[in-house]
Amino acid sequence: MTNLTVWVLLLPLLGFIFLGLFGKALPRPGVLTIAWGASGLAFVFAAVGFLSMLHVTPDSARMSDQVIYTWVNSGTVGTGVLTNNVPLNISFGLLLDPLSATMLLVVTGVGFLIHIYSAGYMEEDEGFWRFFAYLNFFIFAMVLLVSADNFLFLLVGWALVGLASFLLIGFWFTRRSAVAAARKALIINIIGDFGLMIAIFLIFQHYQTLNYLNNGTTTGVFNQVVAGGVPTAITTAICLLLFVACAAKSAQLPLYMWLPDAMEGPTPVSALIHAATMVTAGVYLVARANPLFQVSPAALITVAIIGGATALFAATIALFQLDIKRVLAYSTISQLGYMFMAEGAQNYTAGVFHLTTHAYFKALLFLGAGSVIHALGGEQDMRQMGGLRHRMKITFWTFLLAALAISGVIPFAGFWSKDEIVGSLLARATSGGGTLFYVLWAVALLTAGLTAFYMFRLVFGIFFGSYRGSGPLSHAHGAEDEEEEHHAVRGGFYAIYESRSIMTTPLVILAVLSVIGGLVGSWALFGKPGWQPLANFLSPVFSNSAWTGVPFHPAELSLSMDWLSTGISLGVAGLGILAAWLVYRRGFTYKESQNPLYQLVLHKYYIDELCTAAIINPLLWLGRTATSLLEGGLLDGGSRGIGWVTSRVSGGLRRLQTGYMRNYALAILLGAVLLIIYYAVVRG
Amino acid sequence: MHELPISWYLIVSALLFSIGVVGVLVRRNPLTIFMSIELMLNAVNLSFITFSRYLNSVDGQMFVFLVLTVAAAEVVVGLAIIVSIFRTRRNINVDEMNILRG
Amino acid sequence: MSISVDTPTFIAFFVLAVATIAAGLGVIAFKNAVHSALSLILTLLFLALFYLQLGAMFIAIVQVLIYAGAIMVLFLFVVTMLASEDTGDVTEPARQPWQRGIAATLGFLLIAGLSYLLFTGASIDSAAVVQPTNVNGLAAGIAAYGGNTEAFGMALFHGFSFPFEITSLLIVVALLGAMVLGRKS
Repeated sequence: MTNLTVWVLLLPLLGFIFLGLFGKALPRPGVLTIAWGASGLAFVFAAVGFLSMLHVTPDSARMSDQVIYTWVNSGTVGTGVLTNNVPLNISFGLLLDPLSATMLLVVTGVGFLIHIYSAGYMEEDEGFWRFFAYLNFFIFAMVLLVSADNFLFLLVGWALVGLASFLLIGFWFTRRSAVAAARKALIINIIGDFGLMIAIFLIFQHYQTLNYLNNGTTTGVFNQVVAGGVPTAITTAICLLLFVACAAKSAQLPLYMWLPDAMEGPTPVSALIHAATMVTAGVYLVARANPLFQVSPAALITVAIIGGATALFAATIALFQLDIKRVLAYSTISQLGYMFMAEGAQNYTAGVFHLTTHAYFKALLFLGAGSVIHALGGEQDMRQMGGLRHRMKITFWTFLLAALAISGVIPFAGFWSKDEIVGSLLARATSGGGTLFYVLWAVALLTAGLTAFYMFRLVFGIFFGSYRGSGPLSHAHGAEDEEEEHHAVRGGFYAIYESRSIMTTPLVILAVLSVIGGLVGSWALFGKPGWQPLANFLSPVFSNSAWTGVPFHPAELSLSMDWLSTGISLGVAGLGILAAWLVYRRGFTYKESQNPLYQLVLHKYYIDELCTAAIINPLLWLGRTATSLLEGGLLDGGSRGIGWVTSRVSGGLRRLQTGYMRNYALAILLGAVLLIIYYAVVRG
Repeated sequence: MHELPISWYLIVSALLFSIGVVGVLVRRNPLTIFMSIELMLNAVNLSFITFSRYLNSVDGQMFVFLVLTVAAAEVVVGLAIIVSIFRTRRNINVDEMNILRG
Repeated sequence: MSISVDTPTFIAFFVLAVATIAAGLGVIAFKNAVHSALSLILTLLFLALFYLQLGAMFIAIVQVLIYAGAIMVLFLFVVTMLASEDTGDVTEPARQPWQRGIAATLGFLLIAGLSYLLFTGASIDSAAVVQPTNVNGLAAGIAAYGGNTEAFGMALFHGFSFPFEITSLLIVVALLGAMVLGRKS
């Protein structure tokens, strides 16, 4: 099989460098050629790599680890688990295996579509070239993250992706809210980076290497996990620290606060980074490190619990939000919780499957929302929309398909992946997981119902009913200061037009994927248990004894239980859609209720205010006090104090010089007398 | 001939010396201070002669001889200074001469 | 300490001692500078008598001639020259009145300490005091050269000629200094 990952990595990097240096001087078509060329070719090479893997017969051979550059190869690192000293080997390599191939396809594919879309969305922006440079940089960083073959370069990619997110959220850096949101995202991501670094230290301490798999002379981490020898407490600690990083990157409790604020960035950024690809890095990491998690049951349970809690929590907040992008942001957090629940139930394939389908329909939802926002000249508030299905047909139909997919309606993509997750929870519950997994199964079903409800609230609010706004703003959105938007001239309902084809074509492509993307899942429900293409493709990564030595298959569900679970989830989804239709079919009439529970959820449970009061204000107080105490009092005061003491002492000593000769003679006599007394008393 | 104990002579010398010291500290006329200093020198001369006698050595007397000479020279220069101060200030109270102060 | 000495020496010493100390007190006690100078002359004369009792005839005469005769005359010159002006002793009170008390205390302490040391120190005849065995042995010199002055002279020009020459240099320097300082400029 052909491992062209190095090109997938290099092309976006070259695109970024070129655009970064020369983009300002290039005309728009030039910028687009380079950007589209880099990401498009990256996708092509990723596809070639993927296709070449499909027909490799022994499962264990479906892996190619290409070492590009050996950074360090010297000395020996202690004994540890293995009984012989191993040389210290740190190298930069790219791993192409089923998991990374899948991730590469998703990243480059969706990335390329969004590159196309952005050409239309950002057409009026002055930072056009900068945007595409950052997008290429992001693709490079994400490819590095998913294709690195050791934890060190995973960390590099992790941090670079955080940087790309920061740059893109704060893209309109003249806006104060955007800068604050970018800073918030970066700070919370750094907390995750910290967890990842400590985990890497622990891994190195106990396994003497950072490579995933065997690589020449060194034995990989995962191979060593199977050999055993490292106490469970350590592996649990490593997994929990890895999960801290995942929670930060994938916006799980308690590190989710940055994702809703990240909607300050342009909508293509939200689609690419905060829906389809970057936030799934956490899911990827858990899937990649599955041998470590498999030997740490406590960590898996933690992952499942947090995933479930986040899913429910975010879904409840999304019920009442008014900004369409924020509804989608909380929906993303909720769906990521689903993926972690699946991984906590040891069905990593289901998590990755949902990752891919979620990429399709969430990107589609965001791009559709972006299309609406673009057509309305920057309006994001649902209260100013309505009845747009008459004016924006393509956007409406693709958005509707995506909403059906995310709600889990058969036969769309989301149904297959969500059903697998729910089924795996029930399977784990019935095969020894205990009441916890029953509870999680119930939580998953409830969240599915809430998901259907708020998604269709969104659909009905934007596209049905009568138009409640006053027309599109007549200037470019986003890049100006917020105050100017209120003074612009607004056209009427009939000034709203469907977006150009450059923006609607990716919508259509993603809609097709949202429809057929789930068909590679498991057909066990319909009587063909052997037909599960994706699981078969990914199986070497999760269950290959030759690779990782951990023979493992996720728990299976009996057919009747499977039908039961599927039926309930479909029913719940249907109930959600029905409820939304009943409440909102006449359009979104908004009356703010004074119910305190409503207010609590509307204000996102006041978490942000709590963080500010509990963490940020004390830190600021500490900083200010330290400045005044340490710098003002100790350092400044200390140096001034030394001067003061010196001048006082010298002033005091000055008084000895009276000028009277008699005083000096007296002093001499005093000394002489003291000497004589000394001799008389001591020596006499 | 029986001698007196040496310490008697030395006590006299010490007494004279102390008297001279107190004189230096108490008087304000610089000439009187100078005279007290001469008194101290003479007390020390007495000590030297005493030791010369009791230790059977001529060194003590030699020392006194030289001290005498140096005292003469010192008196000459000191009085010249006092006179020149008097010329400029018209007042030789040591309490008035306190310009060299901190 | 037992006094094993004949009475005339003892009386002579005692009278001289009292007189010298009285004259010394007079130097510092008189308000008038001329009286202090005269008191100092008396002290010098009594000290010369002491020297005679101690057998240093040459020094005694030299003291009278030079110290009492030349140096004190110089003093008296300057005292009487400046006496016509205000010397400050009588008219103004002292600037630092506490000085007198402290000076008296310290003087007393000085005397007390010295007396204590002198009375309890090693006696000159004890074995702890090393007797000099130099060729300038006074008794030997007196016996050899026939008297104190001759012995002194022989020692001066045979052993101490270098300090002698240096002292003459010193006198020249003092002379020059006095001339420079005394000029009216």
